[in-house]
Amino acid sequence: MGSSANTETAIVSASPASNHNNPGTNGGDAHTNHTPAAILDLVVSEPESSKKRRTGVLPLEVGTRVMCQWRDGKYHPVKVIERRKNYNGGHNDYEYYVHYTEFNRRLDEWIKLEQLDLDSVECALDEKVEDKVTSLKMTRHQKRKIDETHVEGHEELDAASLREHEEFTKVKNIATIELGKYEIETWYFSPFPPEYNDCVKLFFCEFCLSFMKRKEQLQRHMRKCDLKHPPGDEIYRSSTLSMFEVDGKKNKVYAQNLCYLAKLFLDHKTLYYDVDLFLFYILCECDDRGCHMVGYFSKEKHSEEAYNLACILTLPPYQRKGYGKFLIAFSYELSKKEGKVGTPERPLSDLGLVSYRGYWTRILLDILKKHKGNISIKELSDMTAIKAEDILSTLQSLELIQYRKGQHVICADPKVLDRHLKAAGRGGLDVDVSKMIWTPYKEQS
Amino acid sequence: MSRLSFRPRPLDIHKKLPILKSFKDFEDDDTPTSTTRNSQLLRIASVEVDNENSNSIILTIVTYYQVAPVPTKKPASEIPTPQFVIVDTYERDYSPTFGQPASYLRARGARSELGEFVEYDLDNEDEDWLYEFYKNNEELSPEKLESIIFKLEVLDHKTRERAGVITPTLGSPVPVLLQFDAAVDVYFTFTVFHSLLDWPFILILETVQNISKIIAVSVLQALQSLSINYGTFQAIFNYWKDKRKRWQKPVLRRLQPPPPVNDTNPYNVFRPREKVHRLHTRRMQRRENNVQSFEKLRQTSVKFMKSRNLPLQCLLLIHGMQYYQVRRNLGQAQTILEALIKREEKKRDVMDSEHETELLEESLALPGFPPTTTSYKFGSSDDELMDSDDYTSTRVRTRPAVIPNSRFTNLNLNASQAGGIKQEVRRRQSHHGWLHRLDPNEPVMLFTKPLVPDKLAAAGIVPPAPDSSLGQTPSRFQGRIGRGGRIIFDRWNPLMQSHINCGDSYYIAPKQRSNNFS
Repeated sequence: MGSSANTETAIVSASPASNHNNPGTNGGDAHTNHTPAAILDLVVSEPESSKKRRTGVLPLEVGTRVMCQWRDGKYHPVKVIERRKNYNGGHNDYEYYVHYTEFNRRLDEWIKLEQLDLDSVECALDEKVEDKVTSLKMTRHQKRKIDETHVEGHEELDAASLREHEEFTKVKNIATIELGKYEIETWYFSPFPPEYNDCVKLFFCEFCLSFMKRKEQLQRHMRKCDLKHPPGDEIYRSSTLSMFEVDGKKNKVYAQNLCYLAKLFLDHKTLYYDVDLFLFYILCECDDRGCHMVGYFSKEKHSEEAYNLACILTLPPYQRKGYGKFLIAFSYELSKKEGKVGTPERPLSDLGLVSYRGYWTRILLDILKKHKGNISIKELSDMTAIKAEDILSTLQSLELIQYRKGQHVICADPKVLDRHLKAAGRGGLDVDVSKMIWTPYKEQS
Repeated sequence: MSRLSFRPRPLDIHKKLPILKSFKDFEDDDTPTSTTRNSQLLRIASVEVDNENSNSIILTIVTYYQVAPVPTKKPASEIPTPQFVIVDTYERDYSPTFGQPASYLRARGARSELGEFVEYDLDNEDEDWLYEFYKNNEELSPEKLESIIFKLEVLDHKTRERAGVITPTLGSPVPVLLQFDAAVDVYFTFTVFHSLLDWPFILILETVQNISKIIAVSVLQALQSLSINYGTFQAIFNYWKDKRKRWQKPVLRRLQPPPPVNDTNPYNVFRPREKVHRLHTRRMQRRENNVQSFEKLRQTSVKFMKSRNLPLQCLLLIHGMQYYQVRRNLGQAQTILEALIKREEKKRDVMDSEHETELLEESLALPGFPPTTTSYKFGSSDDELMDSDDYTSTRVRTRPAVIPNSRFTNLNLNASQAGGIKQEVRRRQSHHGWLHRLDPNEPVMLFTKPLVPDKLAAAGIVPPAPDSSLGQTPSRFQGRIGRGGRIIFDRWNPLMQSHINCGDSYYIAPKQRSNNFS
C-alpha cells in the first residue's frame, strides 16, 4: 500500500508554509491541495527577518514553529514540543524537541540549534498577527486542515483522550536502544521507571529483555544470563522461525520488559494494566546464538469482546519482511484452534490497519475466487475466524457487496478480485498449521 | 432514478449471498449505481491491457478508499523506513552456544521461582559506589555486589512479608524492615545452606535439630568461602539501606508493588486489574487451591512455626530445602520434605487449624488434581525461591525410583504414602465386598468420599442380594458419597456387564464375557 499513499503525502507535505496553521482549529476544516504557485506565494510573503530578531528569538519558546534540517538534508517545518538546557551551555543554550508537522509523531526528536533555520522562526506572537494577514491572503487557497499529521493515525480516538495522551507522551524519553545485534532508533515515549529518566539510550538483553543504562552492565548481564529464547513454550517451529507462548502471569518481569520495549514503537499501546491477564506470542528467528525476537503479539487470556490480539509489533530491523503478516495470520490460526472468531483490539495504528486490511482482503478474496455457489458472511466468518463485522467492512470498502434486485450479492469477478489482491500485497510468510503444537489457554487456579 | 429512493435492507450475515462471477451480470442490469469502482476498475483494466499505466489504477483505488461507504482510514501517509545499525560488539557479547533441540522447547519455571539466578543488575549508582569502594583498596567483584544486593532485597521482602506489611499497591514509601543483625544471620545461613547442598541428605535432616550449633561454625566457613569480610558486608548493607531510603521502594523491580488501581498518573504502569467476579459455588469454597486459600495455609504454617518457637534458622532451612528441591534432585528433596511433613502431622494437635493440613495432605494424595494446584502447597510467596514448574509437574506422580541412602528408603516409602495412607485406611475399614473399590483403573472422583457401611446400614441401605441367575459376584457395585451427602452408585449395564459411566463402558472384562457367552 506504500505507493498508493502518494496523494496523501502530497497533501501533507505540500509546502513549508504549513506552519501558518492556525492552532485553534484542530482538524475541523476541509483541506485542498496547494498548487505550487500558491506555495511560492506564501514563501515569498514570509516576513523578512533581521539579525536583531534572530538573536532576539532565542531561546525558542515551546510551541514555536520553525524550519529544521532533517536527516534527509532538507528543511522541514517543525513545531517545538519541548526544550531543555544543555548541561554546560550558556543560559540561552537549549536543545529542542521538535515535531515535524509533515510526519507522524514517531519521527519527533531532539535536535541541535544548528539544525534550525532561525530565519523562519515564528513565535506565538507573530503567529497571531500574521494569522490575520495570511488568512486574508489565503482566501483563495482555503484554509488547510490543521495539524494534519497530529490527527493522522488516531482517528479512532476522541479529541480529549488524544490531547491527554499527547501531553504525557509528547517527548520521547529513550532515543535509541540496543537489542541484540541491532541498535534501533525508537519511535515513541515509553513510561520506563523513573530511575531511567536521565538516559537516552538503553541496552536490552536480547533474551530476557532486561534493560540497563550502560553497555558494561549489559555485558556483565550477558555473562550470567541463562536464557537463549523467550521463557515460554515453543508452540511453532518452521525452519529457523519459532513462536513462543509466554504467560504474563508466570513471567511477569519478562512480559513487563517486553511491554516497555514495545511501547517505544507503538504510539497507542497502554501499559496501564498489568500483564498477568495476557499471553504473549513471541516470534523468533533462531540461530546458534539463540532465538532472536523479531516481533510479537499479545492476547488477552479471556476477552469478552472477542479480541484475539491486543498489541502487535514487528521490531524495526525486521519490518517489511512479512513478519507482521505472519503474526496476524498466526493470531487467526489460534482463534481457529479455539473455535472462536476474533478481531484485533481497537484502535488500530496506521500500520496496523494497513496490515489487517491487507490480510482480510487476501483471505476473503481467495475464498471468493474459489467458492462455488452462495455463501453467507457467517460462513465466511466460520471458515476464517474473522469477525463478521470485519468481513463486512472489508468487502464493503472494496465495494464487493452490492444490492441488486432487492437482495445483497457478492461480486467476484476474477479480474476485479485479482486487482484488489494485487493492491493488498503479498501474504508474507505462511503459517504451517501442521507445525503448531498448541492447546488453548486454561485457567489454572 | 427511482432505485435511489429506497435504502437497501440491512445485510443479514446468516443469509446466503449469491456470488456473481462476472461484472456483466451487473451491467445488463441497468442500475444507477453500476458505475462502481469495480466496474471502473474493470474498464481501466480492459483498456490498458499492456498495463503501461498501472499508477492510474492505484490512484483510482486511493480515491475510492476516500469515498468508500464504510469509514475506512486513508492509507498511511508515510510508512517510515526503520532506522537501525548493527552493533559491532554483538558477536562478542552473545556467545554462539545455543543448540536447538529436536523437540519444541518447553518453559522452565520463571527466574523468581528457580531462585538460582541473580535477578539484580547493578545500576549506575551501584557502579559508582563500587568505584569509590575500590579506592579504599577493597576487593569486591561487581557480581558479588549484585548477588548480595539481590539477596538483601529478597530477605527484606520476606521480613516484611512475615511482619505482614506487604503493601498490595504502591501508595506510600516502602521502608526497609531488615535489620543488619538479622541480615548477617540470615544471609550467612543462606550462604551456608548453599554450601550444604553437597552434603548427604541425612546431615541436612539432622541439621534441622542441630542448626544452632552448626551456625556458629558455618558462618565462619561462609565468610571464608565468600571471601568477603564482615566489614565489607556491613558497608554493602549500609549502602543498600541508603539506596532504599532514596528510592522509597524495593530496588528489585519484581518486588516493587504496583500502583493503586485508582492512580491516574500515566507514568505509573502495570496496575492490577480488578478481578472478574467469579461464581462462588460450594465446590470452590470447599477446597479451591487458589491464592486466598494458599495464603491462609501459609499464615497457618507461620503461626505454627511461631507457636513452637522454632528458630528462624530452622524456618529458613525448611525454605532452603524447598529451594533445594528445585535446585538439585527433586525426588530426594521431596522425600525429606514429606518426611518433615509427616513429622509435623503427628504433632498436629498443636495446630489449631486442622482443616488446613488436611487440605494439604489430601491434595498431596489426589493424583487427579491438576499438577499446578499443588504448586502452592509448601511454597509461599515468602519463598519465591521454590515452586517451579518443573517441581510442580513432576512431584505429584514421580516418586524417586532409587534412593541411595538406605535410611531414606524407608522414609520415602512412608512418606510417599503419607497422604495416601489415610484413604487406604478408610478403604480397609470399609472392606465389605460391594463397597470396596477394587478396580485400579477406576477414575478418582474429586470431592467424593467412600461409602461407610455402618452408616449405610444405619440408614437402612443394604447390599442387594446377589443375582445368582447371572452368576455375578456381588462386588460389582461401585458407589461413593458425593457432594451434599448424596449416595451415588454407578449404573450397571446389564447387557455389557459393566459400569456405564466407568470410563470405557463398552469394555467387557474377559471373565465377565466368559460368564456371559460361554
